[in-house]
Amino acid sequence: MSQASASARASQAVATVGTPVPAPQHARRPAATPITEDVPRLLTQWQTIAVTACVLFGILGAMFQLLAWQASGRAADNTEQLVRLQQVQSSLFRADALATNAFLTGGLEQAEQRQEYDAAIDEVLRGIANAAEAQPADRDVLADLNTTVAAYVAGITQARDNNRQGFPIGAQYLRAAGAVLRADAGPMLEALVAANTQRAEDEMDGQNTLPLFLTGLAAVAVLWWVNRQVARRFRRRFNVGIAVAAIAIAVVTLVGLVASVNKSGDNDDLRAGSLRLAIAESSARASANDAKASESGRLIARGSGATTEPLWEAHARDVEDNASRETLPLWQTYAALHDEIVAQDDEGDWNAAVQLATSTDPGSSSEALAAFDQASQAVVTDAATTTTDSLRSGGILAVLLTIVTLLVGLGAAGAATWGVTQRRKEYS
Amino acid sequence: MSIRPRSRVAGLTVLAGLVLGGCGGYDDTVVPPPEAVETTPAAPATTPAVCVDDTNPTRSYTPIAVAAPGDFPSISTMAEIYDRGRLIAGVSADTYLLASNNPFTGQIEGFDIDMVEQVAEAIFGDPKAYELRVITAGERLTALQEERVDVVVRNMTINCVRWQSIAFSAEYYRSGQKILVRSDLADGQGPVVDTPAELADLRVCAPTGTSSLDNIKRASPEAEIVTASNHTGCLTLFQQGAVDAITGDDTVLAGLATQDPYAVVPEQEAFSAEPYGIGVNAGNVDLVRFINGVLERMRADGSWKASYEKWLAPTLGGGATQPQPVYGRTP
Repeated sequence: MSQASASARASQAVATVGTPVPAPQHARRPAATPITEDVPRLLTQWQTIAVTACVLFGILGAMFQLLAWQASGRAADNTEQLVRLQQVQSSLFRADALATNAFLTGGLEQAEQRQEYDAAIDEVLRGIANAAEAQPADRDVLADLNTTVAAYVAGITQARDNNRQGFPIGAQYLRAAGAVLRADAGPMLEALVAANTQRAEDEMDGQNTLPLFLTGLAAVAVLWWVNRQVARRFRRRFNVGIAVAAIAIAVVTLVGLVASVNKSGDNDDLRAGSLRLAIAESSARASANDAKASESGRLIARGSGATTEPLWEAHARDVEDNASRETLPLWQTYAALHDEIVAQDDEGDWNAAVQLATSTDPGSSSEALAAFDQASQAVVTDAATTTTDSLRSGGILAVLLTIVTLLVGLGAAGAATWGVTQRRKEYS
Repeated sequence: MSIRPRSRVAGLTVLAGLVLGGCGGYDDTVVPPPEAVETTPAAPATTPAVCVDDTNPTRSYTPIAVAAPGDFPSISTMAEIYDRGRLIAGVSADTYLLASNNPFTGQIEGFDIDMVEQVAEAIFGDPKAYELRVITAGERLTALQEERVDVVVRNMTINCVRWQSIAFSAEYYRSGQKILVRSDLADGQGPVVDTPAELADLRVCAPTGTSSLDNIKRASPEAEIVTASNHTGCLTLFQQGAVDAITGDDTVLAGLATQDPYAVVPEQEAFSAEPYGIGVNAGNVDLVRFINGVLERMRADGSWKASYEKWLAPTLGGGATQPQPVYGRTP
């Protein structure tokens, strides 16, 4: 474009906007339409609007992407906390199952069983400490849980001490400790698990797909509007700088949306897959150990199986509903052995029932439950690791997209400035 | 409009905080309050009401002679039990000396269990042909009424109210209610607490659904009564400092005191008479007569005396004799 022709068009533009053509008498003039326009000032305003839109897009778009990435990280943290708490729950019921079962063998309990109980309690206490450090929002409940576990352990210690002396009060301490575990610790752990499940799921929903889309759309809409205003005054459809800014924003928004939608889809898959598996298997593991404690409890409350068996059956239903394909057969093996124990007890052969319930030989009920417990723990660990690894994956892409979005926003602001500046030069 | 640098820095700080901190601040986890559990009413009071048809609640049915094992009328409760192959008895498993689980052997043993063995021996010729079902004090009547057990041998006091729902054998032991206290309340350094009246303002525990609870409420209305599911539950409360005293039958208190060197049963007069009987379903009068025959045999062959000497004499003192039975009740 030659300078002469540009100058001629500029003169024409001045004539157009600077000297308004009188409107026909019958036409109603819009009340808001100025009679005269200060084009340089308008250009400055449009430029400010366009630059603001671009910069805001850069900042907000980058922020939404950064927040989405952080949400994925927090979802992973919450998942780890969830699994940690379920581990505490499972270990606590495992400890109770061992303590209750050991009681059936009299004061001289098996050393291995006692060591396993100590290890389970150790896991519980470490798990509570780690969980309290990991999530401040859980600390108050975990402090209460810690107190409850301490009371439980003290009760079991008193039970054991009295049992070793042959005093029946030992059984009473055992019953009281078990009651504390279920009445106090149980609801606390359930609340903690529910809260962290909700947090993990909420964070998985935090991919900010819609805010990113709306931010990009708003920025493009503003640029379109500015372009339209400029085009009206300068009789050219597109301002190159503004168009480039709009296209760049549209492209980066589109890329961000694709990444966000993909991540959301992955998170949905996790929720329906490995996360659900980890939660369900943990629940199955806790219920299985609680069932074993119930089995021992029915034998301690000798001959009262008819009243205690429904408790075992309730736990069994929970295991069957939640155990994975890998662990369900192991549970069924244990359940079949439990049926034999029940049959012996119902037949009145309590000693045989106790022998079956307390034996740790291969093929015994305790060994079958231990096999389920170990397999279940492995499934939980694998599923939890899969979940957290997936949530933490794509970090580099998320950071790159964040930086690119910010740079594109700033670059678009520069392009819009350049584009409007060209018109200002023409006008001058 | 110019933005002052300080405002700009503050704004950037807020934005940076929002971005870097994310939205990781969560509401504190809250444990929902436990659902209101409908509390079951306490076990029916066992107030020894005035006997309607007999002034002596220990009066039982006239015994029948104990024949050879298995030699019963074809239609009889004993024949049904014989056909089943075992006697089912409702017992305690934590009443030391009367019926408690021996952790070393895994067997429930004690004076009450000896009674079960005598009945099993009479029916089957085998003292071990029985199945024990552990029941609480509150379950003693319902276990019989619902025919979950053949007999209840669980330090159960014979009284008229219970006669209205079940039947009893003749009295097999005469116990009495006493109080157990902390050793510092019986060491003579201060006032010795050895009567119900002296329990005023002290916390005293008795199991729910027992005549002991009703008796102590009447005898010591100013005491703070605390309940537990059984006497061993009372002992755990005692060891935790939640109660100062426990009340119950002297046999039970002797067992509790054996388990805790700081629990003492001071020398005292029993403030109630607690005649123990073997509980039987009200419809099984033939079994009551049979058991009374067994008790008579125990008196004759000295097995009651032997059981007493083995289990109760070391703590309650020797010289006790089997209570004299009162017969003549009619169905």
